[in-house]
Amino acid sequence: MNNSTATRKPQHLAYKLGIMIGLLALAILLLPAYDKFHVRGPMNSGHDTLKCESCHQEAPGSLRQQIQANLRYAFGQREHLADFSHQAVSNENCLACHERPNDRHPVYRFLEPRFLKARENLSPQHCVSCHMEHKGQRVTRAEIGYCVNCHKKTKLRKDPLDVPHDRLFALKRWESCLGCHDFHGNHIMKTKKMVGQIIPAENIRAYFRGGASPYGDDRHYKAKKEVNHD
Amino acid sequence: MTSKSFWITLFSLGCLGIYLFATAPPPLVDQNIQKATIPVEQMFTLLQVENAAARLIWTKEIVGEGKKVGLKFDEHWRDVDLEAGPLPALFLRETAKSMEKSPVRISLFLGSDFPISPDNRFEGLQQEKFQILRQTQQAQFFYVPDIGLHTGMFADIAVAAPCIECHNKHEQSPKHDWLLNDIMGAATWMYPASVVTLEDMLKAITVLHQGIQDAYAAYLEKIKTFAHPPIIGEHWPRDGYYLPSLNVFMQAFLQSTAQHTLPVLGALSNSRQNIPLKETGHDIVE
Repeated sequence: MNNSTATRKPQHLAYKLGIMIGLLALAILLLPAYDKFHVRGPMNSGHDTLKCESCHQEAPGSLRQQIQANLRYAFGQREHLADFSHQAVSNENCLACHERPNDRHPVYRFLEPRFLKARENLSPQHCVSCHMEHKGQRVTRAEIGYCVNCHKKTKLRKDPLDVPHDRLFALKRWESCLGCHDFHGNHIMKTKKMVGQIIPAENIRAYFRGGASPYGDDRHYKAKKEVNHD
Repeated sequence: MTSKSFWITLFSLGCLGIYLFATAPPPLVDQNIQKATIPVEQMFTLLQVENAAARLIWTKEIVGEGKKVGLKFDEHWRDVDLEAGPLPALFLRETAKSMEKSPVRISLFLGSDFPISPDNRFEGLQQEKFQILRQTQQAQFFYVPDIGLHTGMFADIAVAAPCIECHNKHEQSPKHDWLLNDIMGAATWMYPASVVTLEDMLKAITVLHQGIQDAYAAYLEKIKTFAHPPIIGEHWPRDGYYLPSLNVFMQAFLQSTAQHTLPVLGALSNSRQNIPLKETGHDIVE
């Protein structure tokens, strides 16, 4: 018995030392200066200098209140879950910098009941459905033919294209839409009149992955940077 | 589990219970759920009265009278090279867009079964409810489960001549025989709770007022870019090449709804009981 205790003493000491070193390393990593070591992945295009707290804001209440509220929810004494530690990132965080009066597809528009199928397929009512952060890209949706979800019945009064839009729809050329139209309509550009001149799909995909804009650099509105960036 | 382990576990759980509940600070507020007693349908109805009043003033006094004195209104009114203001549907969309900037989660949309743009045609559940609305002339209330929003649809009625003149003449319009007082479409309101507090209602009304104010302010900003802008001040287009200032426009709007909205809010405040509301407010502006 005594021998066994004696042999375990160094083990216990090693455990304690290990736990202390681990806790110390954790504490250091949680310092704001080491943010880059505990993010989920590289920031998306244009977000390199964004501060963590721009999107990850502390949840209301103390830790005890948050645990208490969620336990109450678990026992049916509260209608909604309470945010724990940090608030869930929402459209409001994105729109604080990216809200624009000329947005062709503002996220809230997709809350209307008639967009049910689009919501089922794309969830376009959430910014992060296409712009998931910490992926090191610009648009995290891989496919580019998503206009099919809402624009099958679109008609143009005076179609300027050499191949009319309704013909493109019939041919299911949905990957060609973004060759002329940027989704949020913020680029200042002249749309092409010949389908052969539109931006190739591969260039759009490269732009989605974080490459240079094939729509040019002239924009109606720039994102608000000064508040949330380092 | 040994007797020793049992008592240690029991003691730990007891300490945790005391820490979490006995000595804990007050519980987090759960979105005022406990105090909410007013059905959201009443809030939608009140908001629709306000919205209908603003639409009537815009359509009749600004668009209708404005066209007579040379002002233009267009779908592409935001284009830099176009000297025009928003058509009534786009004025509502401007209002709705401004409302979305608020943390109050009230949403407003406008649609139809005969829209000028086919992209705005009702579909699915919204179309079904609109057909019932068209047949019964009654507002429709329902729940959209996938996004958890309570919804109210109200008839959008052709209350002024410019409504039917524009839609009947428009080459993209799928219907050219609209008559005054026809149901041309529906305004759709959405909110995340089934019951609201009086404070929630006041916040929603304030957000709508701000939205209307922002929409008119956006038009006045565009007016500043015109080569020969109308005089902005006390007068209205019915007096000539004028536009009311932001204050004058908002005063006219608020006066047109106050006689309805304030008594309703007062009654709710006094009794906290449900009282019947008028469904649409088209007749209160005259």
